[in-house]
Amino acid sequence: MVIRAIRKPTTGQNGVGAFILQCKRLEFHYCDWAGSSKGMNSFIKSRLGNFARLNPSIEIAISPRPSKHPVIRGHYINGREKSICVRNLDENQILKKAELLRDASGEKLKVVKKPVKSLNESVRGIWSPFHKPDGTGMTV
Amino acid sequence: MKRLRPERWGGQLLTAPRRTTSRGASRCLRQQQCLARSLPRAFSSSATHFTAASKHEEIEYEDGEIETIEEDVKSPSKSPTPAFIPPHPNKTSSKLGALHARLRLPPLLPQETLARTLIDPSANSKSDCNNATLAQLGGSIIAFHVSEWLLVTYPRLPMTVLFAASYAYSGPKTLQLIGKEWGVETAAAPGNEVDPGFLQFKKLAPGTELAGGGPTDRHAATRRDKAYFRRGVSSRVVYDDEFGDIIPKKDNRNASVPTEEAYASFVKAVVGAIQLHAGREEAKAFVKDHILSRHLAINSLFQFQEPVRELSRLCAREGFEHPIARILSETGRLSRHPVFVVGIFSGKDKLGEGSGASLLEARTRAAVATLKSWYLYSPGQDARVPSDMEDETKKHEKWEPVHIDMGEVIH
Repeated sequence: MVIRAIRKPTTGQNGVGAFILQCKRLEFHYCDWAGSSKGMNSFIKSRLGNFARLNPSIEIAISPRPSKHPVIRGHYINGREKSICVRNLDENQILKKAELLRDASGEKLKVVKKPVKSLNESVRGIWSPFHKPDGTGMTV
Repeated sequence: MKRLRPERWGGQLLTAPRRTTSRGASRCLRQQQCLARSLPRAFSSSATHFTAASKHEEIEYEDGEIETIEEDVKSPSKSPTPAFIPPHPNKTSSKLGALHARLRLPPLLPQETLARTLIDPSANSKSDCNNATLAQLGGSIIAFHVSEWLLVTYPRLPMTVLFAASYAYSGPKTLQLIGKEWGVETAAAPGNEVDPGFLQFKKLAPGTELAGGGPTDRHAATRRDKAYFRRGVSSRVVYDDEFGDIIPKKDNRNASVPTEEAYASFVKAVVGAIQLHAGREEAKAFVKDHILSRHLAINSLFQFQEPVRELSRLCAREGFEHPIARILSETGRLSRHPVFVVGIFSGKDKLGEGSGASLLEARTRAAVATLKSWYLYSPGQDARVPSDMEDETKKHEKWEPVHIDMGEVIH
């Protein structure tokens, strides 16, 4: 056999074709007693139902965390998790934090310097001294 | 390309009595083998819904051995049985609902079926509770859509590369990646108390030796098993699985399965479930969105042994003038880092170009570039595939046959 083939898997490109929301689980922790959970408690009572309806692809869990500050914890498909402490915040601020966790990709935050990231090779190829657009490439 | 026979595999989900014509003769060998592999595990405990047509099914292997499968012949159940027995009728799971929404599965697909796709036969051997049949159906659908897309989009791919490309799109490794990217996690051990949103299968004990992938070519197969003779690459279409791998003769029926296999059968089963509940078009769109949309640089799958010789054979076959390599430019011939740019010409046409640190290297690279540009001819990424004609809206359009190539150069 003359041509052999190399086996490798394909790479996923989330959003090309199907889009999978990267946040898969949000946990809301509250305390019944502490004052810092006041906003969280009213958020859970009045806002969370609607938030869950709007984001059906996120599994939502609520659990008490007595004598501690309220926390929202997001679990992501890449296996990482992000937590935000929402002590003393009101409903609207907590909603903003929940949306922030929902929209995050789960990756570590990093500075994006180039506007485009691509899996494809450059169309122009690697620069070569022999080929110039005007035909005056290097001759030896 | 495989012929689809959904009615055969979706037996439990379809209540209508199944046709019992003589099918043994018309069944393609690969399907027989697939069924033979999946049957003992899937249908070992209860075969009440599965009605086999013939008592014996004979499978002829490539090396001439014939294996007879004895199937349990049972009469179709007389009382109307429910179309589907959900694995956990009283359980609801937020994980499962979230997965359903995350994949944007059609609402026609109930969560019970989704729960069933998450149960591997190693976790539950009852055939109407595990995903064996759905995975069989879904695997065929995936293989069909991937292969028709590859054949239409890259009609000149050599067979080995075609097999590697279909492995890249729908092989178990890729399906495992897809399953993980869907956010599906595995349960530590299968059981009734497990949340139905987890993938359940019996895990391999640590230290278990894996069988490893089958040999991918004839030489490897001969090395591994001296007595085993394989015919040419083309015979793999008939005898081997969709990736050109040998189908193992005996299923080792070990209850535990590798994680990769469990994820792969889950992803296949989801496609099968969509096909059964929502229809062909939905399943096709799902395969396109989740499997064919992934990125693969097909040009990186080639590995040429003798590109220069192959190129000259190709030109002779196609009636081109004999290819000649000419130096286009060079620099630093006597230095430590010389660079030569070599072009391959057939008459006045430049077929390809490559650069390298020596004249031979540059010529080889140029020949490889030329061969790749030949084999990777494509009518476009949106070329019409045969299954497009099954669409009701396109039925009236005239079918334009796809390009069928002579095939690779054999020398």
